[in-house]
Order: sequence, then C-alpha cells, then structure tokens
Amino acid sequence: MSSPALQPRTRVTRIAQEAVDKARLTVVPRVRTRAPRVPFMTLVSLVLVGGIVGLLLFNTSMQQASFTASALEAEADTLAAREQTLRMELDELRNPQRVATEAQAMGMVIPSAPVFLDLETGKTTGVRTPATRENAIQLQPPAPIMPAALAPDPIVVEVPAAPTVEEQAATDPGATGAEPRKNRNR
Amino acid sequence: MPSTRATGSGKRGASRGAPMLRLRIGFVLIAMVLSFFGARLVQLQGVDPRSYAVRAAAEGAARVPLEAERGDILDRNGVPLADSVKGKMVVANPVLTADRAPELARLLSERLSVDYFKTLTALRGRKEGSQFEYIARRVPSTLAGDTLTEVDAAGFEGISLRDDPIRSYPSGDVAANLLGYMGTDEPLGGFERTFDEQLAGVDGEATWQSTSGKSVRIPLRESTLKAAKNGAPLRTTIDRDLQWFTQKVLAQSVRQYRAVSGAAIVMDTRTGEILALADVPTFDANAPTEAKSEDDLGSRAMSDTYEPGSVEKVLTAAALIDAGKAFPRQRFKVPPNLARQDRVIGDWFDHGNIRLTLAGIIAKSSNIGTVLAADAFSPVELVGYLQRFGLGQRTDIGVRGETPGILTPGEAMTSQTKDRVAFGQSLSVNVAQMAAAVNTIANGGVRVSPSLIAGSAVTDDGVTVGTDVATRTRVVSKQAARATARMMEKVVDPEDGVAPAAQVPGYLVAGKTGTAQRVASDGTGYDGSTSVSFGGFAPADDARFTVYVVVHAPKVDGGGGSIAGPVFSRIMGYVLGRYGVEPTNGTPSRLPVEW
Repeated sequence: MSSPALQPRTRVTRIAQEAVDKARLTVVPRVRTRAPRVPFMTLVSLVLVGGIVGLLLFNTSMQQASFTASALEAEADTLAAREQTLRMELDELRNPQRVATEAQAMGMVIPSAPVFLDLETGKTTGVRTPATRENAIQLQPPAPIMPAALAPDPIVVEVPAAPTVEEQAATDPGATGAEPRKNRNR
Repeated sequence: MPSTRATGSGKRGASRGAPMLRLRIGFVLIAMVLSFFGARLVQLQGVDPRSYAVRAAAEGAARVPLEAERGDILDRNGVPLADSVKGKMVVANPVLTADRAPELARLLSERLSVDYFKTLTALRGRKEGSQFEYIARRVPSTLAGDTLTEVDAAGFEGISLRDDPIRSYPSGDVAANLLGYMGTDEPLGGFERTFDEQLAGVDGEATWQSTSGKSVRIPLRESTLKAAKNGAPLRTTIDRDLQWFTQKVLAQSVRQYRAVSGAAIVMDTRTGEILALADVPTFDANAPTEAKSEDDLGSRAMSDTYEPGSVEKVLTAAALIDAGKAFPRQRFKVPPNLARQDRVIGDWFDHGNIRLTLAGIIAKSSNIGTVLAADAFSPVELVGYLQRFGLGQRTDIGVRGETPGILTPGEAMTSQTKDRVAFGQSLSVNVAQMAAAVNTIANGGVRVSPSLIAGSAVTDDGVTVGTDVATRTRVVSKQAARATARMMEKVVDPEDGVAPAAQVPGYLVAGKTGTAQRVASDGTGYDGSTSVSFGGFAPADDARFTVYVVVHAPKVDGGGGSIAGPVFSRIMGYVLGRYGVEPTNGTPSRLPVEW
C-alpha cells in the first residue's frame, strides 16, 4: 500500500471489483406503466363522432341555407317584378296625357301665355290673358263621323206622361187624351 | 403428422382437384374480370371521354341564361320615355297539355287575355310531337306568376315560364317617332335601333348543380356565374311634357286644317338642345302594328325634305346685312311682278308698285323684294352663307334616315335658281336644319349644332352624336343677327306684319312665315299643295327658345301666318312659362316697313 508502484494495481483491482459488481446484472422488472386508455379512446371517439356529426350538421345546414337561398331568391325576384310592375303603373299614371285629361275634366286649361307673380312684391309680370274653354287643347282626336247607314238618327218616341192627380181631378175624364201632351217632359 | 393429414383429406382433395389447378383457374377468372374492367376503362377514358363527362355534368346541371336588362331611354329630367320591365313568356309542352287542353285554354285565355282558339291550338301542339309552344309573350311577371300558381292549383301540367323582358313606353305616343319600337326580339326603329349596342347590354349565364327540381342548388358543387351586363341608359334632351304638348297642339292644327302631316321643333337657343321634336301623324310605341301607315313609324320631320319657303328669306337677309350689302332701312321699289329670264316672279298678295324697306320686305314677305335685295349676291356667295347656316348637310342628331336636303352648289347654280333660292324655293331642307338656321339668328349669329342626345352616344353607323360634340360656328355678325331679328319682329306686328297670330302676349316675338309650293311625290313639279311654316324665337331681344312649325298640304286655305302661327304661339307661350322666362320688357322694333 505504501509503495507507490503498487498503487495502480490495487486501484485496478478495485476498479475490476467495481466492474464485477456492476456486471452482475439483474433483469429489471418490467414496469408496466398502464396509462389509462379510456380517456384517450374517449377523446378519439369523441373527436371522430364530433367530426362526423359536425360534418353532417354542417352539410345539413348548408343544404338548409341553399333551400333558404333559393326561397329568398324567388322572393326577391317576385318582389323585384312587383316593384317594376308598380313603377310601370306609376309611370302610366304620370303620363302627361292622363294628367291633362283629368285636369281638363276638372276645368283646368293650359294658358296661352304665362304670367309671373313675384311673391315678395305681390306684383305680376306678363300680360294677363283669360284662360277660356277655347284654350283647352284637344286631347283626343274627335271620333270619326260614321256614314249615315251605320249611324241612323235615333228614333225618338214621345211617351205621353201620365196626368197628375190634380189634373185628373180638374179635367173631365173624356178630355185626358189631349191634356198630357202639354205637360210632356222634355 | 403430415402424412396423417394428407391421408385424412385424401377423399375431399380428389373432389376439389389439385390446388395448383384451382389456383390457375382462379387466376384466369380474375384476369378475365380485370381485362373486362380494363377494356371498359379504355372505352371510357380512351375512346370518347368527353361525351361521358358532358353527360355527367348535364346530370342535374341547371343552366340559366341571365337576360341583360335593356337600358332606359330618358328625357332631359330623367323621366323614362322607354323602360324595361321584367316579364315572362308562358310556354306549354303540348305532350302534357293536350289531354285537358280546352279547360286549360279557357283558364289561360281568361287570365292572360289571349285568344282562346289560338291558345287551344298551341296547347294541342301546332305540329305533331311538338314539345314547345308559346302561349303568351311579354306577360308582366306578377301576372304570369299568379297565373302559374292558379294553373298548378287546378292540377294542370306542362305550363312553364321563362324570362322575357317587356319594353314599355309609359307615355304612349310621346316622342314615339324618335324612340322607335321593339319587334319580338330586336329593335326595329328609332333610337332603339340606332343605339341598340348601348341599350342592349350583354346577356350572362349561370350554371350550377341542382336537385332534380332544378331549383335548389347543391352546395359545394361546381357553379359558375357570368353576370349579365345591363344596357346603359340613353339620355335625350327631350322634355317629355313639352314634347307631349307640342304633339297635341300640332295634331290639333293638322286635324283642323285637314293637313297630310306636320312637324314642330323646340330648340334651346343657347345650347342647341332639342326640347321637343314632334311628328304628326304619330303612333303608339306600345302598339306599332296599329299605326295607320308604315311611314308614320319614322320621323318625317327628319326624313322628308320640303321647300322651306319664305322662312328662308331671313337667312338671305341676314347674309346680305352681314356682307354689308343691305341694311334694314334700305329702300326698294317693288313692282307688281318681276320678269326674270325664264319666268315671272310674283308675290303672294296683289299689289301695284310699292315702296318697301328691307324690313318691310321681310314683314310682308315679298318675293320680288327679296330677289331684288339678293341681286347684290352671286350664287356662290349666297350658297356659301346658306351652307354655313347648315342647309344641305345632315344635322347628325341621331335620327335614322335623316335627309341632307338639297342645296345646289353655288358654282352650278343659275341666276334663276339663285333668285328662287333667295326666297326659299328650289332648295329643300329638313325640320332640324331649318330650326338650327333660324336659331343662328336668335343666338346672335352663332350657329349651334342641334342635338337630341344629352352627353354623347355612338350610332350604329359609328357616328358620335350628342351635346358633347355640339359645335358652335359664327355665320353672321352679331349686328347682322340683331338687325335681322328686329326685322323679324315686324312679321308678327298686327299692322305691318302677316302673322299677328304668332304673337305671345307680353313677349317680344321675332319670326317668319313660310308658304311654299310642294313638289309632287313623283318629282315632276309642284302639285298645287303647300307647306306652311312658321319659325321664330322669343324673347326677341334675348332669345331663349326657337320654335319652328311646318304643316304639310293643308286642305283649308291658309298661309304660314294663319295655320302655323297659332301653333307657334301656343308652343312658345307654354315653353316660356314652363322654363320661367319672364318678359324682357324690351322696346318693340320701330323699323319702317314702307317709305
């Protein structure tokens, strides 16, 4: 031990001893770490089922949306058509011919010359010309005159009016034949 | 062990045959099946892959044409003169409808106001095996939809709807001669045809995969959309209400004087915009087939030429004054008639030797006086001025079939022709030309080219027309135009003039009458009828509007002053009021007419 030359030997043996100690291997007991499988499987199943159900729902909702879109499109079309029809009716109501016909029926005429009224001074400029029936313009061409054969004169039948009570009382029953002619309604 | 097994299965092995044999038979069978598959694959992919792809795509594919909406034609205030409405065509499949045709025809004819018997024929099929028949076209969508609902509710089959836009002219005959009209599928006249490219737009198309009903799209499947490009609206310078009024007043006059036709035009003096261009007779643009004559469908105002008569005298007078060859107070001795080489020129009124100033010649509309005054001009000089006034060339306002009129070139013009041209015969014009020429005097001697389209538009001939391309050219000096206007005021003077009926109460009006002989339709000379006209502007000292009226071949005796004058007065009075032009309170012309 004291001799330094021996020191390595002893060390070697000691090392060998350790190596021998180490070399004595034993089988490590197999530790079966049983991670609980249930949550994982549940998770996977859930993801799978969720995915499938989700996809199904998504598809269903898409289809539903498509139905809704079609219905709304049809409704939009109908409403657009309705709007256009109404606008067309409005334009026809605004037709100057119609407006003028109504106005003329109310007794309005388009004046032959304008007169201006200044609202601030209350004075008028322009020559005041009366708007008469002659100023009214012919809105419709007069109806064509039909030949006499097609438009015969109306046959006028004069119906003697029945004598009133007083007349009947006043006059002799024999004279009633001549009396009503005087009172005939024209 | 193996031996015992072999012996154990010996009996069965014999009945099944050797395994190798079985294997081979199996392989052969598999090879046969696979080769069938292979052959089918080659057939599908190699021989004709397209047709199968097309068939696959067609299965459940919906293809819907998207109709472009036709652009509106608007007046100057944006009021539609022509607009498009969504409509439907009602079509039948006779294979499905033939059995119950009478009941269905009755329902359809009642709802859609179509002929029962025609509907019945269509429902039974006009041809054997027909699967497509029109029942009604251009039915408003709402009516068509309601009818279809009713048809379905009654349990009928085989009726369907398709898009079929309706062109509607809400004001009927207002400006119909300019707008034109639509045929079944294409425009047949007027602006509709001239500016079809702009108005029509481009149809689009949508395709998608659909359910069997072809109505509901299958999501996430192939679908394409090529949107329709709607037509652009066409804005005109027409004022709808004024146009209507002009038409009515003119029509009344044409009826009253039993004339063949008439035309009237209202122009904004400063911009040259045509506010109204009326033609009589006209037609209802919604029912062009009901027009009395095919000629009524176009614009006679632009396509027919006529000799302008005395209205042209103001152009001659303005030109003479501008050239320094005459002045309003210039004195002329006017003889009863004037013998020129080949014929005698007379006046419309009998007179002896009278002394008229140039103003008097215009006011009394003396042919002889005008000829005497125009003697200061050579034919080349006179024609040069008239050309600058715009006669003899198209106005290019965008109306189809416009005539350029006839104006003999100055170099080729004889002195006799020049004499007649000086008072408005032996040359012919259209209405817009003449109105623009008179408007030149109203506008201080500057000719503004007339326009009917606001902004600009390209015709089917490739010509750009509209207010954007309007030109302004000075024809006569401001002084000459003013002097001519002063002379024209005398025309409506109750004492000195020939057309007091053309006055508008409260306003200074300048104008000129015209009564011209009409050339016979076969071109063999004058036929004895006349074209009477009146052109003028107001207020005379600050003109805002030029109105020109012409009535062709009235059967009642009368001249420009008595027939066209009142029409002018009515239209001018209306337009001045409508645009709020107050009287100018200017002093009336005091030019002497005689000396």
